[in-house]
Amino acid sequence: MKRKTRLFRAFGVISISLASLTTMATSSGASSSGSIAKGQPVLIGASLSLTGDFSGDGVAFQQGYKLWAADQNAKGGLLGHKIKLIIKNDTSTPTQVVTNYQALISSDHVNLTFGPFSSLLTLPAAQAVNRYGYAMVEGAGGAPSVFEAKLHNVFDAALPVANGLVPFAQWLASLPASQRPKTIAYATSTDPFTEPQIPVAEKIIKAAGIKTVYYKTFPAEPSDYTSIADAVAATNAQVVILGTVDVPTVSAFMQAFEQAHYNPKALIATAGPDQGKTFINAVGAGNANGVMVPNAWFGGSSNPESQKMVAEYIKKYGGTAADVNADVAEAYAVGQVITAAVKATKGFSNAKIITYLHSGVTIQSVLGSVKFNSLGENNQPTAYTFQWQGAKFVEVNPTKDPGATKILFPKPAWKN
Amino acid sequence: MNGTAVLYSIIDGVLTGSVYALMATGLTLIFGVMNIINVAQGIFVILGAYLSYALSVHLGIDLFVGLAITIPTLFVVGIVVERLFLTRIKGPERVVMSILVTYAVSLVIEGILNLVFSTNYVELHAWYVDRSVRFFGVYVGYIYLLGFAMAVVMLGALYVMLYRTRFGTSVRASLADQTSAALVGINVKRVSTICFGLGIAVTAAGGMIYGATNSFNASSSYDLISRLLVIIVLGGMGSLGGALVAGIMMVTIEDLVGVVWGPVWSNLSFFLILVVVLSLRPQGLFGKQSVRVA
Amino acid sequence: MLRVRNVWWIVALAVLVLFPLFETNPTWTGIGVSALIFMGCATSWNMFSGYSGYVNLGSAVFYGVGAYTMTLLADHLNVPGNGDLFWLVPVGGLGAMIVAIPFGLIALRVRRHTFVVITIAIFFVFQLSAINFSFTGGTAGLQLPYIPWLETNFNKPFYYVALAIVVFATLLSVAVRRSRFGLQLLAIRDDEDRAAGLGVKVFAVKLVGFTLSAFAVGMGGALYAIFLGQIYPQFVFDPIFDISIALMAILGGLGTLTGPLLGALLLESTQQYLAIRFSNGSIYLIVFGALFLLIVLFMPQGVVVFLGDWRTRSRERRAEGALVASDAL
Repeated sequence: MKRKTRLFRAFGVISISLASLTTMATSSGASSSGSIAKGQPVLIGASLSLTGDFSGDGVAFQQGYKLWAADQNAKGGLLGHKIKLIIKNDTSTPTQVVTNYQALISSDHVNLTFGPFSSLLTLPAAQAVNRYGYAMVEGAGGAPSVFEAKLHNVFDAALPVANGLVPFAQWLASLPASQRPKTIAYATSTDPFTEPQIPVAEKIIKAAGIKTVYYKTFPAEPSDYTSIADAVAATNAQVVILGTVDVPTVSAFMQAFEQAHYNPKALIATAGPDQGKTFINAVGAGNANGVMVPNAWFGGSSNPESQKMVAEYIKKYGGTAADVNADVAEAYAVGQVITAAVKATKGFSNAKIITYLHSGVTIQSVLGSVKFNSLGENNQPTAYTFQWQGAKFVEVNPTKDPGATKILFPKPAWKN
Repeated sequence: MNGTAVLYSIIDGVLTGSVYALMATGLTLIFGVMNIINVAQGIFVILGAYLSYALSVHLGIDLFVGLAITIPTLFVVGIVVERLFLTRIKGPERVVMSILVTYAVSLVIEGILNLVFSTNYVELHAWYVDRSVRFFGVYVGYIYLLGFAMAVVMLGALYVMLYRTRFGTSVRASLADQTSAALVGINVKRVSTICFGLGIAVTAAGGMIYGATNSFNASSSYDLISRLLVIIVLGGMGSLGGALVAGIMMVTIEDLVGVVWGPVWSNLSFFLILVVVLSLRPQGLFGKQSVRVA
Repeated sequence: MLRVRNVWWIVALAVLVLFPLFETNPTWTGIGVSALIFMGCATSWNMFSGYSGYVNLGSAVFYGVGAYTMTLLADHLNVPGNGDLFWLVPVGGLGAMIVAIPFGLIALRVRRHTFVVITIAIFFVFQLSAINFSFTGGTAGLQLPYIPWLETNFNKPFYYVALAIVVFATLLSVAVRRSRFGLQLLAIRDDEDRAAGLGVKVFAVKLVGFTLSAFAVGMGGALYAIFLGQIYPQFVFDPIFDISIALMAILGGLGTLTGPLLGALLLESTQQYLAIRFSNGSIYLIVFGALFLLIVLFMPQGVVVFLGDWRTRSRERRAEGALVASDAL
């Protein structure tokens, strides 16, 4: 008897939960037709990592999207329609990212989709929205693996990752022989974002006669970085290139270098120093001096659109231009790309937007010029190198660029 | 192979490993006495780090001085958590249930920490955090020496408590055999509660050192707990000395492998060694023989 | 009695089969796919851990190995992006079973409590190997061919394959439960030494049970790989998966048949729904954790047992009431 009631109950609960799932759902069918009724807002959906591994960047991205939406709404929205952002948390996992975009398109009926944070999440997200025929304009999925899938709907507004270190490498190579360093150390984490950058840089640097005295890969989560950093310090390399993806890794290396009384003449990390205040808080004010990072944008950019955005950011969140995380600009640029596409196609049809963005058109954004190749990469040569000089975050490479400041070389000593 | 690098690996292994051991000791103590696997240990470490952070940044209290506040605070937190949630775990599947309950508790604490401190990375700063001293040809950061000293003091205090006080004898009795301990009149429940509190209080200290040597936010707890679990398995669950040895072994092996072959292999090599040890001694280095089946 | 019981199972199955035909919104069928995969994995997990009492917290090893085996094979055989990929799903399951053998040989030599933690350690060996070795693609992971089906029809085939896996896992679990082998597992759970004393070849029984439980989980991993289109080591070897599977089975009712199914369905759907609903990440964590805590503390034997007891107790109360009423007459 008990068995029967248990099964009965089980069945009851299963059907109730299924029924409730169904009632939670709304009608199906997403419209990619491109027209919105007058007076209705345009819904833009995105999934961001608000908790989990990528939460530091996810939150910054959210700030960028929101800032853009507020600015564009102040200008009358998109084609007279007010912008309403719907942002969901993907907990930094691919499963949730896919569910989120499906929900955004099928249940929330968003008209357009913006990308998530991280190359790891961009790929599943892009595939999911591709099946609906939606475009995915994003600013944080730049690893080669994202483009290897050859999806037609992906557009990365930010710089493709592999060439990030090229301006720095070229600057090193261009130094006169008396000033040029003799040795260099490379240490990178195993990550699809960092690993591709190192060989590209090494080729240029080696050709200039700078000897590689250390080139090792380290796991993403070692129990502590000090012994790796110490191995680098032991080589006494004059230049260090770190392949890092986040602030904790860079700050651990810097702390270990400092304790080992090792101060390279030049230090550049692929990510981390571009995170503004978060970076300074982690390494301590004064220690950041001289540290460089490749990026497509910085808070002090002379780009007029960027300056306006930075001013607004400071008004809302406080701080200085140097405190603004590059993620904010990348997210903002995504919005600007969509603005241009919507205006040009005079509507919200994803198919037309995709065609427009692949047509070789150049769009101006806070990141500078944006133009997509057939894979969706923004191949405008906008790679810059930035450096912390005191409390200021300035552009130093390419040296001939009008916005560039003189590079601080050699790197000043560590401060406590 | 660089001799200095090898020397450094060993020094770092002992210094950093003992801090990991400190964090893991709480875990193994709790398991030994209560048969509870506290997966929330990682988030408690982070909680300790955040508390030190708050005291340091908002009240200007030095990190080590602040321990006088954070350690008792976490002790109380531990007791509250134990009373509220862990005493309710009954039934034959105690160990498994404890994993579920402590996991849920860790989620809630993570959410609260995110709310209060946001997900931005922070790090603890003090004048001695970045300075170092020269030691047999290598530089060793002050913070690591201080951390090691503190770990030694706390583990020593724990040892004294266990072997020289009556309460400690009750704890050891419970560690050996709960039923017999109860039969002899030991208030096993009270011993459990206090042990849990102790296990968490100890993490406050570990958390402070962790926070001074790593940038962290609430999600850093996941990597931490996996390492701590591995340490207590290697050392032998319930063995405090084992946790110390295993903690030091873990960091030393990883560093040595990193120096000799390359850092990519450090984690993997350590785990492979772990598997080998477990195949030969399934109860871990110092675990109880009764744990074996085959 | 037997016939009545089977009717309810058939009805439940019918509901699950018909669900995507009525609910066409891909969001819910997508969650359905995830839920079904978890249901299959939880049932399979329960078949060993629930019956033998040896809680395995490294089942993500099976999941990940299933995913990688399938993907590597699909790559090697140049399978195009269409339904042919589904044929490789059972191969993923086989890969997981093969790995289960050495895994079990090492881990099953300790008693239950230490077993739990050893499975976690071995899990990490696999995760780190996947990250460090180049044939697994390292941190960039591996990609599967893109399947160009339209989104409105994309989820359905996955849904039904996942459902098939659930049915298979459940039938296997029933078969084991009713067999002599299953009795031996249960005997091990109740008192291992006694079972050994009675002549049960304890180690062999555990190993076989452990290996069997890997099959459906491996298939789940393989199916999931096709669904997402690429696999990364930290996501297919995910410690959260380890805990979730155990949780779902325990929440539903450890050792019962319907428990894991129910637990997985409820937990997975609730978790994804909460994430969609609460875009504030911190609140989502707190709500999810608190909900979890409540369920675990108040229904420690699982939802199914709790509901069954509740029904019995309310029946008894009613019977008592009738007695009292008749007394009063």
